[in-house]
Amino acid sequence: MATVTTTPSQRTASERSSELNVLVRKQRSLWADAWYRLLRNKAAVLGIIIVIVFMAVAIISPFLTQWGLIHDPLKQDTPNSLMEPIWTQSKFTNANYPLGSDQLGRDILTRLLWSTQISMLVGFVPVSIIFLMGVSIGLMAGYLGGWVDQLLMRITDVIYAFPDLLFLFIIMATLRNTAIGDIQGGLLLIFVAIAIVNWVGMARLVRGQVLSLKEREFIEAARAIGAKPKRIMIRHLFPNLLAPVIVSVAFGIPNAMLAEAVLSFYGIGIKPPTPSWGVMINEGFTVFSTTAWPVLLPAVCISIVMLAFTFLGDGLRDALDPRMKL
Amino acid sequence: MLKYTIRRLLLLIPTMFFVAVIVFFLAHAAPGSPFDAKSNGDKGLPLATIERLEKHYGVNQPVHEQFLLYLSNAARFDFGNSFRSGRLVSDIIGDEFPVSAQLGIQALLVAIALALPLGVISALKQNSMVDYGSLFFATIGTTIPSFVIAIFAIYLFGVTFHLLPFVGWSTPQHWILPTIILALGPMAFLTRITRASMLEAIRQDYVRTARAKGLREQVVIVTHVMKNAMIPVATIIGPAVAGLITGSIIIEGIFSIPGIGREFLRSILGRDYPLIMAVYLLYAFLICLANLSVDLVYGMLDPRIKVGR
Repeated sequence: MATVTTTPSQRTASERSSELNVLVRKQRSLWADAWYRLLRNKAAVLGIIIVIVFMAVAIISPFLTQWGLIHDPLKQDTPNSLMEPIWTQSKFTNANYPLGSDQLGRDILTRLLWSTQISMLVGFVPVSIIFLMGVSIGLMAGYLGGWVDQLLMRITDVIYAFPDLLFLFIIMATLRNTAIGDIQGGLLLIFVAIAIVNWVGMARLVRGQVLSLKEREFIEAARAIGAKPKRIMIRHLFPNLLAPVIVSVAFGIPNAMLAEAVLSFYGIGIKPPTPSWGVMINEGFTVFSTTAWPVLLPAVCISIVMLAFTFLGDGLRDALDPRMKL
Repeated sequence: MLKYTIRRLLLLIPTMFFVAVIVFFLAHAAPGSPFDAKSNGDKGLPLATIERLEKHYGVNQPVHEQFLLYLSNAARFDFGNSFRSGRLVSDIIGDEFPVSAQLGIQALLVAIALALPLGVISALKQNSMVDYGSLFFATIGTTIPSFVIAIFAIYLFGVTFHLLPFVGWSTPQHWILPTIILALGPMAFLTRITRASMLEAIRQDYVRTARAKGLREQVVIVTHVMKNAMIPVATIIGPAVAGLITGSIIIEGIFSIPGIGREFLRSILGRDYPLIMAVYLLYAFLICLANLSVDLVYGMLDPRIKVGR
C-alpha cells in the first residue's frame, strides 16, 4: 500500500531544480507529481468521479425540477403514498415514482437528489471554516507561542474529554429553537456547530507541523535574511505544512456529512420538510414495518458518498506523502 | 509512577469542572422553559403549574446561581432528580449503566477477539487474498456509519429473515445484533492498526537477528514480532472507548436498549437538565479514565517511554 516510489519524472525534476537552484519549479513539480500518483490510484479515481457526480447532481437538481424532469421535493400526493420502487413489481408501484414515495406521497428519487445539496454544503462549508481557523490559529500558536499557544492547549484538554458527537448534540439540541437555528432550516447552525467542534483538531495538527518545521534550515535562513514572522508563516511555513492539512480536510468532509446525517436522523439537525438523507431516514423509520425503502435508499446514498470520500482521502494521503501517517 | 498517576487523577477535577461549565451553560442557553409545551411532548401545562414546577426545581433563578447550587450539590454526590420522572438521577444512572457497560464490554471483547487475529494474519500474509479481504472489511467498517449498518442489519436479519430480534435487551438473542454492530467500527480500526504495526515490527533488525540465530519462525513471530507490535495496539483502546461511548448512543437509540445512551437522547431532547449534566459528566469521566489507563499501560509495556517526568 504505502510504498516509496521514485518515478523518473520526480528524479529528473529534483535534479533539474537543484541544478538551476529554482525553488518554485521544484515545488510545482512536487504537486504535479502527487497529482500523477493520485490518478494512478484506481480507488481514488473512482472516489473523485463519484464526488464529481454528486456535486453535479447537487447543482442541477433544482433545474431538473424546474424543467419538469423530476417532481417537486415537497409536493405531496397522499393517494399515492408509500409506493415501492418499480423494480419490486409489487402492486404498490407507480411509474410516476421510479424509486417509490414516502408516507406523504413525496417522490423519493426527487428528495434523494435534492438531499445531495445539503450533504455537499455540510461537507464543504464547515471544512472551509475549519481550514481557515485551524491553519491561522495553529500557525500562530506554533510559531509565535505565547498566550495563543497556552490558550489552544487548554481548550484542547477540555475538548478532548468530549467526543465530537456529544458536543454537537448539546449545541444543536439547545440552539436549534433560537433565531440562528431557524436560518436555512437549521443549516447555518450545523455549519457553525461542526466548525466549533472540529477546528481544534486542525489547529493541533498545524501547530505540530510548525513546531517541527521551524527548526529546519530554510526557516532559519529566512529569519537570517530578515523576513518578518508574518512572511515566514505565510510564504515559508504554510506551503510546507499543506500536505497533511489537505489530507485532514479530505477526511473532514465525510465526517461533517456524517454528523449532519446523524443529527438529522435524531431530529435535531436539518428541519423537515427540507430534504436531507438523515431527515429521510428519520421519517422513513415511522413506516419501517410497512416498507423499508424510504429508509434503505438514503442509507445507500450515505454509504456511497462515505466510501467515495474515504477512497479519495486514502489516495491523497498516499499520493502526497507515502510515509505520512494520519 | 504513583506520583504521576495521582497528578493525572487530580487533573481530572479541572477538566470535569470545565465540562460541567460548558454543558450547564449551553443547556440553559436554550430559550423557553424545560416545562413548556415544546420540550414536553406537546402537552401544554397550565401556566401556574409551569411556574410551580420551575420554582420547585429552582429553574427560575439566575443561571449562575443555579450552577453554584448544582456544583455544591454535586460535590456531595447529590445530582438531583430527573425533571421527567422525578426519580433520583443517581438511581436512573445506577439502573441503566450496567446495561450500557455490558453492551460496551461485549462489543470491545468481540472487536479485540476478531481484530487481532485478522490483523496478524493479514500482516503475515501480506498482499494475499486474506490480506485484501481484511483490508476491504476494514475500509467498510471504518467508513460506513454504524447507524447505516444497523439499518441494513435490521432489515436483513430482523425484517426479511426474522432471524434475530431487534427491539430491547431482554434475552441474549437481543444482544447479538447491537453488540456486533457496535463492535464493527473499533474492530475495523483495530485490524488496520494491528496490521500496520505488525508490518512495521517484522522489518526491524532484531527480527532479522532472531531469525539469523536460528529461532523457529513461530517463536520469532510470537515472542519478537507480536510482543512489540502490540504496544501501539494497546494505545488504541483509549480512543476505542470514546468511540464505543458515542457508538452506544446511536445503537441504543436504534435498538431501544434501556441504557445510558438512550437516556442521553431522551434527556437532551426533553431538556432534563439534571440528567443531561449527569450523563455528560459520566461520559467525560470515563473517557479521561480510559486515556489515563492507556498512558499508564503504555509506560509499562514500553520501557523506552518514560511517563511521569
